[in-house]
Amino acid sequence: MTGRQIRPTRLQDRLVGFFVVLLMTVQLVSFLFIRYAIDHTAQNTMREELRVGSRVLKRILDQNNQELALATSVLTYDFGFRESIATRDRATILSTLGNHAARVKASGMAVIGLDGVVVADTLQDGATGKPYPFPNLVERAGQLGRASGVRVIGAKPYQIVVVPVLAPLPIAWVSMSFVIDDATARDLQRVATSDVSFVQVSGGEARILATTLGTLRRAQLAAAAGEVIATARDGATTRLGGDDYEVLATPLEDTGQVPIYAIVQRSTADGLTAYFLLEVILLIIAGLSLAVTLAGAIRIAGRITRPVTQLGAAAQEIERGNYAVRVGGESSDEIGELGRVFDRMAAGLAERDNMRDVLGKVASNEVVARLLEGGDIELGGEERDVTVMFTDIRNFTAIVERLTPDQSLQLLNEFLTVVSELIDAHGGVVDKYLGDGVMALFGAPVTREDDAQRALNCALEIRRRVEALGPVLAQRDLPHPQIGIGINTSRVIAGNIGSPSRLNYTVLGDGVNLASRLEGLTKRYHVGIVVGHATREKVRGIVWRELDKVRVRGKTVPERIFEPLAREGELAPEQAAHLARWHEALEMFRHRRWELAAAGFRELAPVPGYERITFLYLGYVRDLEANAPGEGWDAAFTLYEK
Amino acid sequence: MKSHSNRRAPPLFVAAMLASFAARAASVEITVTDSHGARIADAVVWAMPKAAAPQRPRREASVEQRDQRFSPLVTVVQTGTKVRFPNRDPVRHQVYSFSAAKPFEIKLYAGTSAPPILFDRPGEVVLGCNIHDDMLGYIYVVDTPWFAKTAADGATRIADLPGGDYELKVWHYAQSMPGEARAIRLRADETLAAALNVSLKAQPSRAGTR
Repeated sequence: MTGRQIRPTRLQDRLVGFFVVLLMTVQLVSFLFIRYAIDHTAQNTMREELRVGSRVLKRILDQNNQELALATSVLTYDFGFRESIATRDRATILSTLGNHAARVKASGMAVIGLDGVVVADTLQDGATGKPYPFPNLVERAGQLGRASGVRVIGAKPYQIVVVPVLAPLPIAWVSMSFVIDDATARDLQRVATSDVSFVQVSGGEARILATTLGTLRRAQLAAAAGEVIATARDGATTRLGGDDYEVLATPLEDTGQVPIYAIVQRSTADGLTAYFLLEVILLIIAGLSLAVTLAGAIRIAGRITRPVTQLGAAAQEIERGNYAVRVGGESSDEIGELGRVFDRMAAGLAERDNMRDVLGKVASNEVVARLLEGGDIELGGEERDVTVMFTDIRNFTAIVERLTPDQSLQLLNEFLTVVSELIDAHGGVVDKYLGDGVMALFGAPVTREDDAQRALNCALEIRRRVEALGPVLAQRDLPHPQIGIGINTSRVIAGNIGSPSRLNYTVLGDGVNLASRLEGLTKRYHVGIVVGHATREKVRGIVWRELDKVRVRGKTVPERIFEPLAREGELAPEQAAHLARWHEALEMFRHRRWELAAAGFRELAPVPGYERITFLYLGYVRDLEANAPGEGWDAAFTLYEK
Repeated sequence: MKSHSNRRAPPLFVAAMLASFAARAASVEITVTDSHGARIADAVVWAMPKAAAPQRPRREASVEQRDQRFSPLVTVVQTGTKVRFPNRDPVRHQVYSFSAAKPFEIKLYAGTSAPPILFDRPGEVVLGCNIHDDMLGYIYVVDTPWFAKTAADGATRIADLPGGDYELKVWHYAQSMPGEARAIRLRADETLAAALNVSLKAQPSRAGTR
């Protein structure tokens, strides 16, 4: 769980991030490709459009030419016209020319004699009587019946058609001129869908003859025209006044000495307008797909991570001990399987926990833990030093005799609960319940340094608690409970005892029996706790009262037994004095100084806590005075039975 | 083939008169070639007498329009001759000429209704039809009664010439420059052979108009 805090990025975020970054990368790459393709296509398209426009323009000029030539031919066949030419009267001819030129909306019309001299010219009056300036047109008209070309007259370009006047043989030539001006360019612009300019180049200097461009652009084109003509025969991109243009320059056919070019041009930005819309649409589509992907990725990632999160939460629950948690696994995929496995694991844990619980009730937690964790449960044992404690409520029968069985059991359980909890609290293990008594182990199955000390502390605590219980029971008009505790430390055999199907972990040995005997001796000495010598040796900080020496049947060495009076420093000086007097008297007794011993016992007999023991010892003294003991007397009291 | 344009057979007395002249008249046998030596048809040849030519009444000539053509293509007449333009086509024609020798125009007509046109000045007259641009014909007006037109073999004959000095001339509608002229002296009963040369334009003069 700490891993989560260290790494704040959630799996879901990473999944979503991955998908989004992936999609964005793909989209970016596609967009760049499309952008490149569009730019490329746009330029190609524009160039192609310019080429088409240029072809259309030339075609239109050509068609115009033919139409003009035709119209001129038709005009010259007009009988009146021919008649007028035949008159050779210049004024009449000039008037006729003006009239006929107006018929076909020509800019000018001239008659040239068969000798090549201008007879009349509506465009340039001064040309009359001089050789026609474009004799090659006349010559070609003589060969082909008509000729046409673009020529600059003054500063203006004209489309000129020359045809013979036939009557029916040529009697003269007629030249018809149609000016190419800005209006012509605008007409052409409508079909060529591009700006159209006519540029004359002479002596390296370009001059705009006619154009659809405005004044500013016209000047810009004039400045760049030389370069455009040199480079843009098949289309080029050029920069005019800060804007990019696709331009195409085409030389017009048959323009005489001076080349004239038609330049078609389109603003690159205009050409890209349609593609700009496409790009916007692409961006919108990209945005939408990104949004859909984002939503989808969040949903899918959520589907993946939600069970994981649930599993995590469930695992936390299990960590806290709630084995009832279930995550379920509806889906058939791996995550569903994981959920099902998790649930089975939780069920297993719950079962195991339940078993441990049940075992803990019938056996000590530590024993259960050892059994559960130790794997194989084996019969057999080991030798170890164990402090065994037996407790018993002396007067339980007396207490419960006025109670119903239920009330009796309830009270007993209260006792046992308190005692068991205290044993647990002191690191002991309840070995078994013996009616109203408890057998507890300190040092098995787990050995610790201070097993004896803890056992004694436990006993002191039990004694204190049971004494505190007295007033409570007194309120219910019940007798004061008398606790008896025997403690002994010895080397015992510990292990699982029983049959393979039903086992008890317990301890065996003389020391165990002695502890039980010591518990029994509490009745004899009217004390709460009787401790064997081995235990006393291991315990510190306690003020002891030696009670006696006891010999267990079959044993030669007697056992000194003690009662813990209080913790060191807690004993009142008066009590200390009594204790010292007691031990002095006991010493006298063991050295067969009956008189001195009896004097001590009698002295202490009225002191609370000494009544019973002095009574016992005064009885010993009387017996021993009556029957003097033998040489082997060791002042021990022999235990014949429990 | 007689070069006289009159197709109708002459009356008997005319024939007799001609025969009486013939007895003491000269004639010229002429062949016309181009600069390459090829004989050319429809070349007009005429003999201009040094002395005054006898005045004789002119007979009307005619240039038909048939199948939207002028027939014959080339007609030679003496000055003062009236020429009719009978229309043998089912459509009308409007014959005209802007030539300096005789500008004229006959308004749309059919059949033989058009009045004859008097050709009173020598020279070339190019004929056209105002509603049929393809129609082209020539009338060549000479100021002498002695003229002829070469046949397909490029030869022709001018007969009944009185003895004397003449200038022999040639014209062709496709000539690129004025034809050759030659001075000849004829005795009364002589038959002279003459070869005349005329340079033609490399191409027909009306090329490309249709």
